[in-house]
Amino acid sequence: MIELVDVRKIFNKGRPNEFTALAGVSLAIEPGRITVLKGPSGSGKTTLLSIIGCMTRPSSGRVSLAATGIPWTKEARLDITSLPERFLTFIRRQTFGFIFQQFHLIKGISVLENVMLPACPTGEAYKPLRERAVSLLDTFNLSSKASSRVEWLSGGEAQRVAIARALINNPSVIIADEPTAHLDSRLSLEFMDIMGSLRDRGKTIIMASHDPVVHDSSLADRVVEMRDGRRVGERE
Amino acid sequence: MATWLNRQRSILDFTLSSLWKRKGKNIGLLLVFTLIVFLLASVMFFTYAIKREAQIILKNAPEIVVQRVIAGRHDLIPADYAKKIREIRGVISAKERLWGYYFDPIVGANYTFMTPDPFPLGKGFIKIGKGISGARLAYEGDIMPFRGFDGKPLNLEIREVLSAESELISSDLVLLSAEDYREIFGLPQGVATDIAVSVRNPREIPTIARKITELFPDTRPIMRDEILRTYDSLFTWRGGLMIFILTVCLLSFIIFAWDKASGLSAEEKREIGILKAIGWETSDILAMKSWEGAVISLSAFLLGVTLAYVHIFFSSALLFEPVLKGWSTLYPEFRPVPFIDFSQVLTLFFLSVVPYTVATIIPSWRAATLDPDSVMRAS
Amino acid sequence: MRKSGLFLSYLAVQCLVLILFALEAGRERQKAMPLLREEASMVKQWGLTDLCLFTEARYTRHPSQADLHTAFQDHPFSLEHFPSGSLIMPPERLRRHSGNMAQ
Repeated sequence: MIELVDVRKIFNKGRPNEFTALAGVSLAIEPGRITVLKGPSGSGKTTLLSIIGCMTRPSSGRVSLAATGIPWTKEARLDITSLPERFLTFIRRQTFGFIFQQFHLIKGISVLENVMLPACPTGEAYKPLRERAVSLLDTFNLSSKASSRVEWLSGGEAQRVAIARALINNPSVIIADEPTAHLDSRLSLEFMDIMGSLRDRGKTIIMASHDPVVHDSSLADRVVEMRDGRRVGERE
Repeated sequence: MATWLNRQRSILDFTLSSLWKRKGKNIGLLLVFTLIVFLLASVMFFTYAIKREAQIILKNAPEIVVQRVIAGRHDLIPADYAKKIREIRGVISAKERLWGYYFDPIVGANYTFMTPDPFPLGKGFIKIGKGISGARLAYEGDIMPFRGFDGKPLNLEIREVLSAESELISSDLVLLSAEDYREIFGLPQGVATDIAVSVRNPREIPTIARKITELFPDTRPIMRDEILRTYDSLFTWRGGLMIFILTVCLLSFIIFAWDKASGLSAEEKREIGILKAIGWETSDILAMKSWEGAVISLSAFLLGVTLAYVHIFFSSALLFEPVLKGWSTLYPEFRPVPFIDFSQVLTLFFLSVVPYTVATIIPSWRAATLDPDSVMRAS
Repeated sequence: MRKSGLFLSYLAVQCLVLILFALEAGRERQKAMPLLREEASMVKQWGLTDLCLFTEARYTRHPSQADLHTAFQDHPFSLEHFPSGSLIMPPERLRRHSGNMAQ
C-alpha cells in the first residue's frame, strides 16, 4: 500500500513563475485495485503520479510504501520522501512500471530491445531476461514484431509494447498517465481490458485520465477526483 | 561481479544499437579517427625504427671527423693536419678520408664516392650499391664509364654489387681506390676531404676535439656522438607535407569532437529522459556515454595502430615513399626493422582514446542528472 | 549473437592481432640483428657517417656532416626545398649554435 500524507509540490519556488501543482494531498492507494485519478489538465494528476512513482520528490509532506522486496530494510513500511537517488531508482525500477501518454519508446531499436531496456541496469543475466521479454511479447501477440523497429508499429501495437515494457521487471504497481489520449475507442477499451486482467493477477494499477472510457469504466475500482492540486471528490 | 558484468554488457548492447542508429555519422567518425591514428602511428613507428637502426649501424662511425672550413664552406683539408693530429695524446690514428659526390647525368642522381682504406680491389675496380646497379642496369663484370673533372673518361669495372639488404647505408655508394678517386676529381696528393680520427679513450673525445680546434682554428671536428644525435632528432613533424596532412586530420577530428562536446541534440536529451523514466540511474546513463566514446575511440585506435604496423613494417612505409624519396632519383629500398617504443604507443592511446571518451561524457552530465519527472511533463 | 558479444569479440581479435604483431616484431628484430651488425661493420670498414636516405643534396645525404652554411645554400629556408624537409630538421648541434636561425 502506498501512502501519501499532506504532499505538496511547488515548481520554480521563489521565482516569478512559481507554481503550486499539489497543495496538500493525502491519499492511500490500496494494493491490487485499479485507482483512477480524474480531473482536468492542471489539476495535479501527473505530478501526483510522478511522486507516487518515485520520479520526483514532494516539496513537503511524506510518501511511504510497503517495504516488500527491499533488501536494505527490515521495516514493514519505508518512507521514501528523502531517499537518495540511487535507492529511489532501485525502488522505482523494482516496484513500478510506467506507461506514458506518448508511449516514449526508443526509436531506431527493435521492439524486443525496447522491452528489455528497463532491466539493463539491474545486472540480470541476459538469457532469462530475454526469455521473459519474449514471453511478454507473446502474451500481447507481438512475437512477430519482436525485431521490428518501433517506428513501424501501429498505434495499438505500440501501446502493447509500452505495456510489455512496463512489465519487464515484474513490478507490483503499474502507473499510466493519460494512457488512452492517443487511442481510439476500440483500443481504449482494449487497454482497459488488459489493465483489468493485470489487476486480476494481483497488480496495483494507478491511472490518471480525463477520458470517460477510463474513469467511467466498471473496471475502475476507485476514482479520485482532483482539481487545482487538491482532492475534491471520490467514487467507488 | 557477475551483476556488474551483466549490467555493463546490457548497457553496451544498447549503446551499440544506439550508435548503429546513426551509422552514417558514426562510421564517418570512426574512419576519420582511424585515419588520424594511422598517420600518427605510422610516423611514430617509422621514425623510431630508423632511429634505432641508425643507433646500431652508426655506432662504428669515425670517432672524430675533422673538416676544414674556409669562408664558411667545407673545404679540402691538408694532409699535414693529420700528421699534427696524430701527435695529440690519446689519438690512435688520424687518417685522410677521400669521399665526395659524383653527378651522373644519365640517371640524374648523385652518387657518393668513398675510398675505404684499405681497398683490396685496387685501381680500376669498384663496388657499387644496389640502387646504382638498378638505376644504371649495371651488374658485376660490367664496365662503368665515368667522366673526370677534366672531361676525360675513366672506365671502372664493377667487381661487386653491394647487397640489397644493406641498401640503407650503401644504395648510392661507389667504393673505389684512392687513386681512381684522385684521377676522377683531380684531387692532388696532399689534400683530402676530411680526416678521420681514432681515439683510445672514448671519454676523451671532446677534449681531443677541442685540442684539434686549438691546433687548427680553421677546422671543425664532428664527434661521433653528434652523428648519432643527428639521427635521434632527425625526424620531426614540422614543416611541409606532414604538418599539412596532420593539421587537416586534426582539424576534422576537433570539429567532430566539438560537435559532441557542444551539447546533446534534443533527440538525445529526450532519449536520456526516457531511460531515466523507465529506471536508468545517472550512473547508468554515464556508463552508456562512456561506452559510446570508448567504442569509437578504442576501435579506431586499435585499427589505426594495426594498419600503421602493416603499413610500415610489411609494406615498407609505402605511403611515405614519395615524401622520403622527394626529388632524389635514387631511393634505397629497405624494410624498417620493427623496433617499437611502447611508451609512444601508450602515449598515443592516452592522447586519443581518453580525451575522446571524456568529450562524449561531459556534455551528457547535465542531462543524465535531470529528474526523470521532466519526461512525464514533456508529454 | 548479442551486439556486445560481437564487439567484445572484435576487440579480443584486434588485441590478439596486435600481440601477434608485437611477438613477430621481436622475432624480426632477432633475425635482423646479424644484418645490422654486418652493416655496422661496413660502416667501420668504409668509414661511413650517415644513412643513405635522402640523396637530393649534400646536406640531405650527409646531414651529420652538413655545416651551418651548407644548409642554407641560397636561402635560409632551403631545407624546405626538398620534401625531405617535411621530415628532417637540421642536426641538433647546428640548431644549438645558431638558435633561431637554423629553424
